[in-house]
Amino acid sequence: MENILVVDNVSKEYPGRFAVKDASFRVKKGSIHGFLGPNGAGKSTTIKMISGLLRPSNGRIELFNEVVDTTSLHLKNHIGLLSDNPPLYEDMSVEKYLRFVAKLHKVKNIKSAVENVLESLTLIPVRHRLIGNLSRGYRQRVGLAQAMVYDPPFLILDEPTNGLDPHTVVEFRELIKKLSGTKTILFSSHILSEVDQICDEITIIHQGKIRASGDLQDIHRKFHQGLVLKVGLGPGEELPDLSRFGKHHVTGHDVSPREQIYNVIFELDTDIRSELSKFLISEKKQLLTFQTDFPELEDIFLHMTETRK
Amino acid sequence: MIITLWKKEMDSYFSSPLAYVLIGLFSLISGIIFFNLLVTYTDGIQALPQNYSQNISFIEEVVIKLFANINFLFLIFIPLMTMRLFSEEKRLETMDLYWMSPIQDWQIFLAKALAALSLIACMLLMTLIFPLVIWGAGIKDFSILGTGYLSVFLNATAYVSLGLFCSSLSGNQIIAALLSILGIMFLWMITWGGHLNSNYMVAEIFTYLGITSHFERVLKGLIGTHDMIYYASFILIFGILTVKSLGRRNWA
Repeated sequence: MENILVVDNVSKEYPGRFAVKDASFRVKKGSIHGFLGPNGAGKSTTIKMISGLLRPSNGRIELFNEVVDTTSLHLKNHIGLLSDNPPLYEDMSVEKYLRFVAKLHKVKNIKSAVENVLESLTLIPVRHRLIGNLSRGYRQRVGLAQAMVYDPPFLILDEPTNGLDPHTVVEFRELIKKLSGTKTILFSSHILSEVDQICDEITIIHQGKIRASGDLQDIHRKFHQGLVLKVGLGPGEELPDLSRFGKHHVTGHDVSPREQIYNVIFELDTDIRSELSKFLISEKKQLLTFQTDFPELEDIFLHMTETRK
Repeated sequence: MIITLWKKEMDSYFSSPLAYVLIGLFSLISGIIFFNLLVTYTDGIQALPQNYSQNISFIEEVVIKLFANINFLFLIFIPLMTMRLFSEEKRLETMDLYWMSPIQDWQIFLAKALAALSLIACMLLMTLIFPLVIWGAGIKDFSILGTGYLSVFLNATAYVSLGLFCSSLSGNQIIAALLSILGIMFLWMITWGGHLNSNYMVAEIFTYLGITSHFERVLKGLIGTHDMIYYASFILIFGILTVKSLGRRNWA
């Protein structure tokens, strides 16, 4: 399928540090692409560069086969951005603000564009209210409405469900799913379950570097070749050094009065379960649980975004 | 597009108390100044014998001094007006809305400058009551009224372009206002430097670079091409600097 966005070796350098370093990934037309990373990983910086709000220090970003720059005016009507802090004028009413945004984007039929977006985002009850008086959920909707009112084919949503109540989060997810048929969406989040639910592709960024990128199923499949083990040891017992079994990472640790459960992910092609269980018993550990599991997105994410052993 | 942005700025001025406070305060202070100038002028005339009193010019003593004082008031009023124009957008991250739209930075600058000048025009409109008072009192000498308004408006345009540039430099409104005030004072001081310098060439250069000499010439109706070139280039230079400053996108 055609790539709508190509990020090619993009870096953003600030004095003394790289916010993003040699980032490369692609977003396919019509997909919902999850952009994952812990706080401060470089998600927002990358998004700002894609949106043309920031100039990359190095590299090249292509959107609809055109190079993105802060001065690419004709691309502006093709991208809708809902940033983590939407650009809202608190002294304007919802309707007036959306009309203003539509005018900025030279929308031909402003009235119908505003009506459509008010209706699809259930903003009609608050259309005459000042934005400054709205709840966070409604403000986020208005932010999304400003990104959609000129009907751009590519939407960038930077942590759109951050700080919303559970009801609104579910509504928002449904809304994004509904949009997926008509638009390409780059969806940044650190809530893995929602990315797993709504995205077709993901890119994981950590410390400014892309750690994995591609089809969500492919990434799952790739990690299924590894081994995820749930190992339960006796109370107070610690997991011994497992470096002899190759690259691995402890992605979780649950403590209960009866046992200590460790989730360990191994990057292996061979089955080491037999050797591992013998090793743990030889180390005088009480092996209370020993269960193979498939990696969830959370395991993959934690594996990718923490220092590997 | 510029009209859309200008309307939004005007709405923003008049939907907050800022515009009303600025217009009200400006009218009050300029009214007090005008009253004082009139009283001083009439006292001066009454204190002198009749044949000397004809030498005191109403234009010199009241009209020119009034416009000079209005120019002085702009030192505070214009930075208060322009300080928020970019700084607040930076603080609220609302510039992203413009930068995500097919608008060029110069259009944003022009719209904001026009909005600030419209507010200044509203302020100056309030002072039109002064010529009416004078006319009511029987004084019909309004020969420099037009150039008086032109001179303060040209100065205001220069201060607005400087103020917008200062506002584009900082996300802190207070810093933006202080920079504008210092910038305007510097423009005045250059002219004073010219007066104090004994070297003719240096004095001429200083006098040309300072805004006061141009203001005085326009105020007295002695408008020359070099004055117009001065104002045009001043506005253009600060316009370009503001657009460059916005173009760095160092806020995002």
